[in-house]
Amino acid sequence: MNFESLLNKLIEDTLQLSLPLFSAELVLCGTIVLMLLVRLFNADKFLPAYIVSIIGVGISFAIACCDYSKLSTPGFATGEIFTGLLIFDQFTAFFRIFLLLFLTLVICLTELSGIPDREDGPDFYTLLIGSTIGMLLMISANHLLILFIGIEMTSVPSYVLVGFMKGRKKSSEGSLKYVVYGAGTAGVMLYGISLLVGLLGTANFSEMGANLHQILASQSVEGVALAISNPVVGTLLLGIMMVLVGIAFKLSLFPFHFWCPDAFEGASAEVAGYLSVASKGAAFALLVRFCLSIVGDYSSVDQFSNIYLAIGIGLGVIAVVSATYGNLTAYTQNNIKRLFAYSTIAHAGYMLMAVAALMVIMSADSGADINKAELASRCIQGLLYYLTVYMFMNLGAFAIVAFIRNQIFSEDLEDYKGIGKAFPVLGICMGICIFSLVGLPPFGGFFGKFAIFASLYEASTIHWSMFVVLCLAGLNTVFSLYYYVRILKTMFLEERPEGAPDFQSEPNLWNSGYVVIISAPALLLGIFPGRLSSTVQDIASVLFN
Amino acid sequence: MTTGEVLKTLLTIAWLLPLAGFAIEIFAGYWQKNRFSMAAAKMSVICIGMSFIFSLLALIQWGLATDWTALAATEHHGDHAAAVHHEEAGNHAKAHEPHGKEEHANTDHHEKTAHHDKDEHEEKHAVVPSTFSGRFYTLADFGKLKLSLDYYIDSLTLIMFTMVTLIATCIHIFAMGYMSDELTNDYVDHQAHKSDGSHVHRPGRYYQFFAFLSLFCFSMLGLVLAGNIFQVFVFWELVGICSYLLIGFYTERKTANVAANKAFIMNRVGDFGFLIGLMVIWTWFGTFSFTTSELNGHDIPGIFEMVRGNDGAISLTEDGNSMIFRDGEGHALKNEDGSNRTIPYTLLVVAGLGVFGGCIGKSAQFPLQTWLPDAMEGPTPVSALVHSATMVAAGVYLTGRFYPVFTPEVLLTIAYIGCITLFVAATIAVVATDIKRVLAYSTISQLGYMMLAIGISGWVAGLFHLITHAFFKSLMFLCSGSVIHGCHHEQEMPKMGGLLKKMPVTALTMLVGVIAISGLAIPFTIFGMKFAFSGYHSKDAIVATGLAYMRLNPSHIFLFFVPLVTAGITAFYMFRLWFYTFLGRPRDQEMHDHVHESPRIMTVPLLVLALFAAGCAIGGESGFLYKMLIHSEPAGVAEGVEAFAPAMLTLPSHHHIHAVHSEAGIYALIAAVTGMIIAYILYATPLVDPGEIKRQFSGLHHFLVEKWHFDTLYDAMFVKPMHIVASWCSAIDKKLFDSILHGFCAVAVKIARFDRQFDEKIVDGLVETLGDVTFSVGRSLKVLQTGKLRQYIMFIAASVVVLFILAFVLFPSI
Amino acid sequence: MEGISLNSFLFVGAILFVSGIVCMATKRNLIGILMGVELVLNGANVNLVAFSRYSSIGIDAKFIALFVIVLAAAEAAVALAIALSFYNNHQTIDVDQADELQG
Repeated sequence: MNFESLLNKLIEDTLQLSLPLFSAELVLCGTIVLMLLVRLFNADKFLPAYIVSIIGVGISFAIACCDYSKLSTPGFATGEIFTGLLIFDQFTAFFRIFLLLFLTLVICLTELSGIPDREDGPDFYTLLIGSTIGMLLMISANHLLILFIGIEMTSVPSYVLVGFMKGRKKSSEGSLKYVVYGAGTAGVMLYGISLLVGLLGTANFSEMGANLHQILASQSVEGVALAISNPVVGTLLLGIMMVLVGIAFKLSLFPFHFWCPDAFEGASAEVAGYLSVASKGAAFALLVRFCLSIVGDYSSVDQFSNIYLAIGIGLGVIAVVSATYGNLTAYTQNNIKRLFAYSTIAHAGYMLMAVAALMVIMSADSGADINKAELASRCIQGLLYYLTVYMFMNLGAFAIVAFIRNQIFSEDLEDYKGIGKAFPVLGICMGICIFSLVGLPPFGGFFGKFAIFASLYEASTIHWSMFVVLCLAGLNTVFSLYYYVRILKTMFLEERPEGAPDFQSEPNLWNSGYVVIISAPALLLGIFPGRLSSTVQDIASVLFN
Repeated sequence: MTTGEVLKTLLTIAWLLPLAGFAIEIFAGYWQKNRFSMAAAKMSVICIGMSFIFSLLALIQWGLATDWTALAATEHHGDHAAAVHHEEAGNHAKAHEPHGKEEHANTDHHEKTAHHDKDEHEEKHAVVPSTFSGRFYTLADFGKLKLSLDYYIDSLTLIMFTMVTLIATCIHIFAMGYMSDELTNDYVDHQAHKSDGSHVHRPGRYYQFFAFLSLFCFSMLGLVLAGNIFQVFVFWELVGICSYLLIGFYTERKTANVAANKAFIMNRVGDFGFLIGLMVIWTWFGTFSFTTSELNGHDIPGIFEMVRGNDGAISLTEDGNSMIFRDGEGHALKNEDGSNRTIPYTLLVVAGLGVFGGCIGKSAQFPLQTWLPDAMEGPTPVSALVHSATMVAAGVYLTGRFYPVFTPEVLLTIAYIGCITLFVAATIAVVATDIKRVLAYSTISQLGYMMLAIGISGWVAGLFHLITHAFFKSLMFLCSGSVIHGCHHEQEMPKMGGLLKKMPVTALTMLVGVIAISGLAIPFTIFGMKFAFSGYHSKDAIVATGLAYMRLNPSHIFLFFVPLVTAGITAFYMFRLWFYTFLGRPRDQEMHDHVHESPRIMTVPLLVLALFAAGCAIGGESGFLYKMLIHSEPAGVAEGVEAFAPAMLTLPSHHHIHAVHSEAGIYALIAAVTGMIIAYILYATPLVDPGEIKRQFSGLHHFLVEKWHFDTLYDAMFVKPMHIVASWCSAIDKKLFDSILHGFCAVAVKIARFDRQFDEKIVDGLVETLGDVTFSVGRSLKVLQTGKLRQYIMFIAASVVVLFILAFVLFPSI
Repeated sequence: MEGISLNSFLFVGAILFVSGIVCMATKRNLIGILMGVELVLNGANVNLVAFSRYSSIGIDAKFIALFVIVLAAAEAAVALAIALSFYNNHQTIDVDQADELQG
């Protein structure tokens, strides 16, 4: 094959296969350009930025939905696009819809709550959409380079979003800490990538598992267990760990969570809500892909099962510590955004338990009498369900915080006294979100937790430590009850102190309608979990075909 | 419509009416005009009253459909589980055997079946199913697991429905009067103080109270109607929430808040066990349904059939370590490869204990009993409805409903938990002086009786006591409410006395309740029916079961003597309460002068309840209530179990119990009379001064007043450590991490200092511009230790290193 | 080139990486911290380029390194903008002054 035919094939491949499947992202890019052009020609008086962005995101969302429905048509081949840099399958399509739906909701929220003002609109939405494009890369990553680019593209606009409230000291401080911390973890992750790439001889996810097995096999001596002090093994493990550090930063997991409370307190509630859900969802998609790629062919891991067991247990420990730390530290918080920041740390811990269970299940002996694919897809199913519910309940909570801030100009829990009575719709929706976050039946959060705990229970038959994780996780739901209920207690049971400043306006129908629409799914997904759970089941099972 | 559909429709309406009431009432609060009218109360009374009527209709419909076979049979034949029917599955119900055959109860299964066949030929009894189950709709599929809304209707369900709605109706009406001082925009709460010591003024929350009551009724009825254990759990949590809201109704009072939290949290502890039980059931049974359900034309056996098959016996594998699952016809269920489906016996025990753990929390059994007395912070109608008659009985109800899954070991645990509870609570009740707390401890004690009865295979006795107790305990609570209302919210008995003349209706209805709970009446015969107040019959049945159990298992001697002695204690403290409150001379003259009888809206419910408290168990073992209940008895209880491996326990059969019934009755009566006489001597005559006795046994008295130090113990064991851990963890960022970080920073400073030396010697040493550079670097070093951001960065590096070292230590070989 | 082994390159990369981390953790000046970030990223780049010569990964690693250089520039631009905003509010770029958010 000469160079010209190679080039032709590449062009054909790109134009006919890859670009159509990438059109959702391309539309978003076009939206950004259009928005900037509109301002350039001073047309933003007639065509505000939020309208442009919501139309663009809407089109992109429609395309994503079409792509998803295309997947179920027979004969449609899924798989790697752009010469193996990206992958398109049901998992990608699900997360694409998830993120674009979420982006639409956030844009509506920002318009309702009046952040940003009209002047800054194009900048704000450019950053918002830009970081979402980064997330869309993260969820379809099939290459270590895309993993890095995706995380960076997500992070860099978010740094600016956190500092978007110009002139506020806390805001600039939060974004400063976020950018430096993010840069540090990115460096660590890149170093890990360089080690992995060099030792494995490939950066493609579909080859990493096989190469890893090959290298481990070449290092092992008959009858002697592989020691971690073997330089190759140790370096490989270090590389994997460093990559996980980068992802853990996005997930705000325990020893890499320090940015999270500061950035959330500095950012506006809308941005905090966006960061807490979207980047977490995308990072979990990436984590699952990365973990599965280093496992490789899961039916033949016997010889090296310990390495996966070690990763699984490590993730489990981090998950438990994150959940415990987040929940306990949230106890004494007074700033409500900071409180929710610690709560997101805890929730990331709960969700990480599903991945930990996945890795432990993957490490099981093939001789064991279990159906690995089914059990593993059960873990992913729980994770996806939890994430979907989490999107609604957490965004709902932050939206309510934003609307209340517009009324009382405060985000301190002390100033929330009696708010529930003054704004009953906001208060009740907050109640729904919070009970769902606690995980009480019949709210959606309960089913998410239930599914994840159930997969932990399954994993505990393979290694006992997962049972410990399960018990501690159960204990944690009890811990979390107190500080969540404290918010409701302040809102409903305490009287508004005399002399407190008046509210800015009457309860607004649009605001109320928005929070009702956002928090209703948190309840409905608990009452009618059937449809979603079967959908995510299908999606999860695709990963293990 | 088939009978099942009619019953389902009636009960569904009865179940959903309170929910509709709740929805209307809670929003009515925002219609300013109606906020301080009786409209909300009337609304909820109408809803619950209609519920009662529908429940009653359902009961009658059930009776007509089954030709009242439940009443025709003089003794339950004990094998009606085979008559459990799925509506569409056809009907091959068996006729109910007459009493005579069962007297020679034979544990040999084959022979008994022969009896059946013969009877069916001979008697041509109506062939009607008596249990109806089915599905409202499916909520979700999780793999092989289905979550659905089911219903399960048998005579127990119907009796519970009728009982709950009847009592709730009475209490709603009572509450209309009791809560009427909330009908104002400026309610003054005399027991809640602001920081400056003044009373709290707030708008009344009349509508809210009735909304919560309605929601509670809905949840409770849903719990009773539920056809699978998961649905039970959902409504279980809902009644928990309602209880939380109602206990904390006077939310301005700190004690009410604390009590509400305590109740909620202690219940969550029990629910943790419940969840573990659910997980075991989910993993091993693969279904949550109680009984056979249909899917795509195939019958899927429910939990009960899987454990008990068709004959009520647990079938073990040969080595005794596992139990074989069976279907409703007694055939073993098969795996795909043809082997028997089994469950490890220990896991079956874990499932039973787990579910029972939930019941411990909900029914305030030892060791989670301490929340119930504190729950008396709620308004008295709440105490009457939620914390004595219905919700706390839900634990007993579930224990009864789930009986088939409990192995003999679990049953023994239940029996001992009940035994400990009933004794501990009764002793505390002896020294309590708050009128509601006496009743609260008596409730715990009676719940213990019920648990004990179920644990020693007195299934009917336990549930019988549940129903009778619901009536007389709600009666007594309402009477106490009437007293408190009349005495202007005074609850301390030492300040009362001599109220008989001032509040005759209250005093006499209370006396009915006291006699009923003490089991004191002398049985006599009216129109050929044995008549005694309800408590006599039910307590008698429990003591008789205990005696039979002790005879068969001589080592478990306490399971008879403790309830017997406690029956005496019960009579003592209940009469003490009555004498203390209503007889003697007034101890607080000023208060006594202002006491008045309650308005009619409060006394009429008292009279209605008194009627039922006295007469609901009329006829005893041959009465209506007992027979209705025994009709629902799980298969295999009537025959008893002989020396079941592995615990080698023998459970008494009905025959055994019947044989000792009159003997036990005499013992119980002696105990009760003794208790009453002692109470009379101490509190109604000047012969002995109770204060003197208190001084004599001051140590014991203090121990009891302090409630056996349970609260202190839990405080020291759980609450304090929890506080410490929480404060420790909240400070962890500031104290522990910072000190570690500072340590790292110190290292960094050392490195930087070296760096600086390097700079100074090599670079600056050559150029003579040391001055300002050194100054600036020095200053930057001085403030090195305060900046947080750099500590964060240091922590990234440190975490990576620590994690890698941990991997080295924990997984030396990969 | 022949005399220099892969390990030597890796050693240089590791030194750069560690220096960068130490620089980030010790420098008080925000610009200094950003220089530390560059050191860290370039430490990884040295690794990548060395691997592309000595390991079977080939030219892929060089492309990764190129992308990293571009991304580092973008990140530095954003970080400098944030530094400016911080300066506007605090009149300093001393990161130790950023201590209002804690707890």
